[in-house]
Amino acid sequence: MVSKGKSSSKGKRSAKKAVREINVMEHYLVPRHRVLSKEEAEQVLKKYGITPYQLPYILVSDPVVKALNAKPGDIIEIIRDSPTAGKAVYYRLVVKSE
Amino acid sequence: MAATFGTVSGIKFGIFSPDMIRKMSVAEIQNPDTYDEDGMPIPTGVMDPRLGTLEPGQRCKTCGNTYLGCPGHFGHIELPVPVIHVGFVKHIHNLLKATCRSCGRILIPPEEIERYREQIKRMYEEGRPSKEIFYRILQRAMMAEKCPHCDEKQYKIELEKPTTFIEVVDSERIRMTPHAVRARLERIRDEDLELLGIDPKSARPEWMVLTVLPVPPVYVRPSITLESGFRSEDDLTHKLVDILRVVQRLKENINAGSPSPVIAELADLLQYHVTTYINNEVPGVAPATHRSGRPLKTLAQRLKGKEGRFRLNLSGKRVDFSARTVISPDPNISINEVGVPIDIAMQLTVPEKVTEWNLERLRQYVRNGPDKYPGAKYVIRPDGKRVRLKFAQDLEEVANTLEPGFIVERHLIDGDIVLFNRQPSLHRMSIMAHKVRVLPYKTFRLNLCVCTPYNADFDGDEMNLHVPQSEEAQTEARILLLVQNNVLSPRYGAPIIGAIRDFLTSIYLLTRDDTYLTKKELSYILSAIGYEGEIPPPDVKKPEPRWSGKTIFSLLLPKGFNHRFKASFSPDIEVVIENGRLVKGVIDKSAIGVEKANSILHRIAAEYGPDAVREFIDKIVKVANTYLNLRGFSFGVDDLYIPDKAYKELEKVFKKMDEAFNVLKANYEKGRIEVRPGETLEQAFESNILQILSEAREEAGKIARKYISPESSAVIMTRTGARGSLLNIDQMVAVVGQQAVRRERIKRGFTDRVLTFFKPGDVSPKARGFVYNSFLRGLDPVEFFFHMAGGRDGLVDTAVRTQQSGYMQRRLINALESLYVEYDGTVRTMDEKRIVQFQYGEDGVDPSKSYHGEAVNPSIIVNRLGIKGGSRSPIKPEDLSNLLKSYEGRLPASVLEKAKNTIKSMKMGRKDAERFMEETLREYLKNRVEPGEAVGIVTAQSIGEPSTQLTLRTFHFAGVREQSILLGLPRLIEIVDARKTPSTPIMKIPLEPEYAKSKSKAQRLARELRYTSFEDIVAGVGLDLKRNAVLLQLDEKAMKAHGATMRHVEQALKQAKLKYDVGEGFVRVYAGEGAQDLERLRVRLLAMRVKGVKRIKKTIVRYENGEYVILTEGSNLKEVIQVPGVDYRRVETNSIHEIAEVFGIEAARMAIVKEMQHVLEEQGLDVDVRHLLLLADMMTLSGSVKQVGRHGVVRLKSSPLARAAFEISVQTLLDAAVRGEIDHLKGNVERILIGKEILLGTGMVSLLMMYPGIADGGSEPKEKEKG
Repeated sequence: MVSKGKSSSKGKRSAKKAVREINVMEHYLVPRHRVLSKEEAEQVLKKYGITPYQLPYILVSDPVVKALNAKPGDIIEIIRDSPTAGKAVYYRLVVKSE
Repeated sequence: MAATFGTVSGIKFGIFSPDMIRKMSVAEIQNPDTYDEDGMPIPTGVMDPRLGTLEPGQRCKTCGNTYLGCPGHFGHIELPVPVIHVGFVKHIHNLLKATCRSCGRILIPPEEIERYREQIKRMYEEGRPSKEIFYRILQRAMMAEKCPHCDEKQYKIELEKPTTFIEVVDSERIRMTPHAVRARLERIRDEDLELLGIDPKSARPEWMVLTVLPVPPVYVRPSITLESGFRSEDDLTHKLVDILRVVQRLKENINAGSPSPVIAELADLLQYHVTTYINNEVPGVAPATHRSGRPLKTLAQRLKGKEGRFRLNLSGKRVDFSARTVISPDPNISINEVGVPIDIAMQLTVPEKVTEWNLERLRQYVRNGPDKYPGAKYVIRPDGKRVRLKFAQDLEEVANTLEPGFIVERHLIDGDIVLFNRQPSLHRMSIMAHKVRVLPYKTFRLNLCVCTPYNADFDGDEMNLHVPQSEEAQTEARILLLVQNNVLSPRYGAPIIGAIRDFLTSIYLLTRDDTYLTKKELSYILSAIGYEGEIPPPDVKKPEPRWSGKTIFSLLLPKGFNHRFKASFSPDIEVVIENGRLVKGVIDKSAIGVEKANSILHRIAAEYGPDAVREFIDKIVKVANTYLNLRGFSFGVDDLYIPDKAYKELEKVFKKMDEAFNVLKANYEKGRIEVRPGETLEQAFESNILQILSEAREEAGKIARKYISPESSAVIMTRTGARGSLLNIDQMVAVVGQQAVRRERIKRGFTDRVLTFFKPGDVSPKARGFVYNSFLRGLDPVEFFFHMAGGRDGLVDTAVRTQQSGYMQRRLINALESLYVEYDGTVRTMDEKRIVQFQYGEDGVDPSKSYHGEAVNPSIIVNRLGIKGGSRSPIKPEDLSNLLKSYEGRLPASVLEKAKNTIKSMKMGRKDAERFMEETLREYLKNRVEPGEAVGIVTAQSIGEPSTQLTLRTFHFAGVREQSILLGLPRLIEIVDARKTPSTPIMKIPLEPEYAKSKSKAQRLARELRYTSFEDIVAGVGLDLKRNAVLLQLDEKAMKAHGATMRHVEQALKQAKLKYDVGEGFVRVYAGEGAQDLERLRVRLLAMRVKGVKRIKKTIVRYENGEYVILTEGSNLKEVIQVPGVDYRRVETNSIHEIAEVFGIEAARMAIVKEMQHVLEEQGLDVDVRHLLLLADMMTLSGSVKQVGRHGVVRLKSSPLARAAFEISVQTLLDAAVRGEIDHLKGNVERILIGKEILLGTGMVSLLMMYPGIADGGSEPKEKEKG
């Protein structure tokens, strides 16, 4: 699941030294992201009775989306550490631009 | 004509076509004159009677209605030459640039057009057309130099502000006439316009050039007759007259065949007048003025800004049935009451429907008439006729005709429900419902405990009162808005209504260990609260029976109430309440005060409900008030007494301080002070002085506190939380201390000295605003001056702060206003129903129902169920985990965890555990937000309201002195503004184990990180003209300080592919072939990086939690995580945009929450996280961090009206017209604008029930009247 993308575009400028392998998913601020399968995505939309565009967005250019290799139209499930609920689930739709 | 009623379902924006304007028009206006000598409007003049009539009695020439019924009619002016509409100049310019000058096609090849069209079509199908694509197409089209359709060469078109277009044909500037512009716009095809986001049906581009000007009806620009009999015309009328005059002259000239320069000049004049008619604040155009020089208020000005139509008349409206007067305190009325002066009660009315049961009472009111209390002002008969009792001949007769079905508008009486409000209405508790108590005199009376939510005092404050008229409104007020339902604040989930000031002092004095009251005193107090039970047994029997204050207080507590907490008086005092008896400890602010979580008040509110708290607070107030009356409490000079010995000690402190200062000054003059990086010598000196002074002040304070009697009124008041702080006591008794202006010692005034009492250059404490005296001793004149200066600075600060926080709150409200909780628990936007949160606050709990943020408070449940715990057979672990498992999915993980811990630690038996879980679930469900709740508004208020209390201009040291960061209100604004870079970017860089353990390694890395350019390390630069090279003299000391070595230098030069020689302490860099660029090379070299990470200005190594970390000033996340040795998993920065870029939107969201939390916590403000979570989710909704304001969250709104109501009204509306946008009136702002109810809260529900009457054909009184 976790792609070791050669840190994609970033680091191009600081390419003097060998680019360090950075996995953005490991940073403490980044919660768990997961691409939902077609069925799961369908279920989410049905559960809330919405079209995909009513979900919060995440850009394709988002580093995490790149790491997950998700495509526009995918729905990403995010499991956050919540100060109130302990764990909280959030969904974002991958979009090309806002 | 039978009127049909419907509701507005939407508003479409567009540009009027000339045909449409003519079609609408009832009169062509030609005559620049308004009235003839008789004062009659001239036909075809601007006040043409066909446009409507202003005078009562007259009938409209067009529709025959009087001024009450006539809606007004438009006229029109035929413009002899086309005129460009200023508002559309930008659009016209873009269109001219994007289309062919010859064939009018968009300058994009056909294949590409097809591609874009497909793309747009797809977006529409997905229901999500984005403005960005149109912008991209526009940019693409404007690039073309040749028309791909007809091969015509395209020329550059310049816009000469404000309304002139110039085509640059082979460097010859040719001015385009509006006529030519219009001709070009006419050629543009409809299908090409669609590619640019313009709706050709509602906004053909040629309509942006006016040929006909609509003339608004006279109601829009009424003329007023002054007392002197002179007529004064509206600004718009003036402007129309100006336009007509030019039109007339133009016509004459054209008909006479005048030379074209004359006509062109007149056309320009017409352009000017039309421009200023539309907008009188166009940059580059002299505003049209009144004869007095006052600029005219024309169309755009009428809409714009705070005083414009939107914000003044549409978003907020004036109301009837309201009153305003001065407030004064009354501890004898309940917190949910308001004392209404009888004069006001006789002016405000409530409609009451006559029934069999109130017939007699209402008849009496009618008999009393409007001038005798309690009376009535109107009687409304079932046929809708109103009888005004003031003019009724015989009140008795009217009273006798009263029958069920009549409505009587009677005076306000005791028990009526009213809304009470004090501005600024910063949070929802600024408007609450009270029950009326009609009282004598002229002021509104309110219980002192509700001062906190209203933020009221009695130094002349006024408040407003509104009387809800309909039964629905009254019921809603009674259920939702009554004071006792608002005791718990949604900002932090703790009481915001509670005892204040003297009540706290009094209750403390009463509940102290040594307070015993006689029977007489006891009786006084008990009768004040109307106590009817048994008198408790006395605590002391001999010599006479006496009751302790604790016993009396216990009488107010509910039976079976248990609680333990720490008193505010001293952290050593534990307050214990067992079974409704105050066993130990004293009652003070942390027991019954406001803004204290886990107090007695809080527990009672959470456990026993609103009515119990109300009663409790009412009684507390009465008991406290009565007791304080009995005992007495005063404050005087005696309360500030400290023995002479103490003064001697104080002397010593100051002597020591002066000595320390002298030492410091001597060192300073010798330049021997430690200067921290980034500081000048002076700054170091100043900060050292401040250090010395504040230490001295602190020490003096300690002495004062040591010697002052704990029985002093001052001490009692501060320690109980009634009023004042320890600092206040210090200043009164010991020393006032340093006065500051802009957080610095006062230094402005005369040259080198503040006042002439000092020698120039005197930097001693005395000369820079240190006040050695206490307030008790009195200030000397110099000190008095400094104190005044400091005081003034404080006032200025407050004024600036209220403005800033007010604007921030307005933006927050506008950004979050549309968020509400849907029935499925999600938080959505009103217009597009987009989901912002899947569970409100992530656990779905309403912060005002939470226990200071906790979803469920286990100890309340334990108490409620009477679970003792300590079972002999505690629940088995596997049973417990099974039990918990069955609740999974129904309760949030955090609640389950807490429940588990409680069950375990209390050693509950199985039965108890099961009961406990059941009740926990019930409590959780009870505490969930209710669907329809306007959580966005609550969030905006919860962040905006406390922001007034944030400090302004504060830099704080983040851990170490060298690293200072901006906090307080400016930082909060920075976060919600989503600024690209924080004003004080900092990072915290944890290291990988190898580096984290070793100080030297960490330090080496820190040096490595720090950005160094040649500028930092060269002592001098020379140009070696002979060798065509730049000579860099390296400064060894600076290099060392920066941690730069020769290796770095060489590496940097190598990387830049420059030839160089290294010599003794210098480097020679050759300019290469391009010999002339020595100077350029020099500049380039100086700015060149030698080592380090860009933007990292300073690095500090610090030992923290068992490891070395690097703190930096300046932030560059992207590159820092690339540096080997940095533990990128834990790197922190306060730059939210950098986080969004490097770690994604979710990380940025977390960072926003953390940063805001940090600011609020640092200032000691209590705001529930749920509010911060919601704000952060809204700011990141679109996938990137969006500002709270017009460029960010507000722009995402789909409604043009909502956007226009916030800021930049005029341009927003014009843009909406060009795009042919439709406002569906779904959002709250729009609905308020047009006067519809908003679909939130109680407005969200619709009942499947109809009024009788409407169901069978619409016979509701109001409709019948008109139909």
